[in-house]
Amino acid sequence: MPIAPKELFLKYGIPILAIIVIAIQFFFVKTQHLNHWKGGGYGMYTKVHFYYNQIYIPGVSVDSLVDNNNDIKNAFRMLKIMPNDAHFYEAAQLVLKATAKDSIHVQLWEPSVNSNSGAYSRVLINEIHLKNQDL
Amino acid sequence: MKYWSDIQDTLKNNIVLAIQLLLFFLAVYIFITGEKYGFWKSPIIVIILFSWFFLRNKTKHPITWIALFALLVFDLYLFYFRVANHHFVLTFMVLSVVLCFYHNQSDILLKNIQMLLVVVVAASAIQKLMSSQFMSGEFYYYMMNRGFVFNVFHPLFSESLEIAKSNSDQILELQATDPNIKESIVFANVFPNLGLFSLIFAWITVVVEFIVAMAILWKPRSKWVHLLFIMMILSILCTRLETGFMALLAICGMFLCRNLKLRLLYALIVIVCLSLIITKIGFH
Repeated sequence: MPIAPKELFLKYGIPILAIIVIAIQFFFVKTQHLNHWKGGGYGMYTKVHFYYNQIYIPGVSVDSLVDNNNDIKNAFRMLKIMPNDAHFYEAAQLVLKATAKDSIHVQLWEPSVNSNSGAYSRVLINEIHLKNQDL
Repeated sequence: MKYWSDIQDTLKNNIVLAIQLLLFFLAVYIFITGEKYGFWKSPIIVIILFSWFFLRNKTKHPITWIALFALLVFDLYLFYFRVANHHFVLTFMVLSVVLCFYHNQSDILLKNIQMLLVVVVAASAIQKLMSSQFMSGEFYYYMMNRGFVFNVFHPLFSESLEIAKSNSDQILELQATDPNIKESIVFANVFPNLGLFSLIFAWITVVVEFIVAMAILWKPRSKWVHLLFIMMILSILCTRLETGFMALLAICGMFLCRNLKLRLLYALIVIVCLSLIITKIGFH
């Protein structure tokens, strides 16, 4: 006997919703550089956690920036989770305001490891140069 | 023995028990994550507690569960890209329970849970298969050389732990330098042939996840499938204390399992995981 549409919806609606969320996560990973660990795509433990990615700003201590400014802390966290252009711009803008510099250079590096040689190095994911006059 | 017959009576109604465990998990999870935007969450929590104490089983609508679902969706709305993956699983499970109060058909609830479990485990395997860092074994190589996995066995391997600590110290020193200079360090392996071990372990992980997903899809009530699923949960817990996610998987297992002894095993996994979450030894 064929299953009624209502029953079909009740049985498979929620799993399909879960698949839609996974598809959205894939889309954000491909287009917005969303980290695999986040977004409901179940990509945890597929690569080194984004916590170990390094934000590097020449001439500026990232630790002291984060300690003193909650907005920067949140912006840096989002930059590590999804290092797209918008998050780079937001982070750089906040750093420019906090440091009162004329220009700023923000880079995001991720760990890279070679299991044959044991070499551990850092690879640049993306970077932004922002000048005060661009704001 | 009377205790055993009491336990058996409780285990016989596995759906009720699974829903109780889910409710308890939610209480712990909300207690830990409720701080952010607490001002907006507290009225919802008031509704949850009031409806639970005074109106449960007395109204047509499952107010407690609807409010719990609202609370989870609230966090999803605010922190969609920040919440853990099991927050999504939890939200879908709660939605399944809410709908069950309306359709009143346990087979639909069980189909929801079964397919959700298949989607979650299969997606996890596919994501790993698509990651070159994982499939080359480099991810596990990194994690083991830093002492981030198999923490439960660390007391037995103090020498390896020392090596992992020295690797972490080297990384800290490297982090203090300008990455544009392109300096690198070389890990000391916590045990010999770690590269090969990591590669094999990575492939085993993916194969086991695929087999478990397909087995749950094919025979969701089979004793052997649940035995395999329990072994997967226990192996993950030994690798890393992902107690939050594993408690949810065990609750899903409890919903689907027919065997009383395995149901007891699922219940014990959830109880131990919850205890580790509450004491903050495990992840929530």
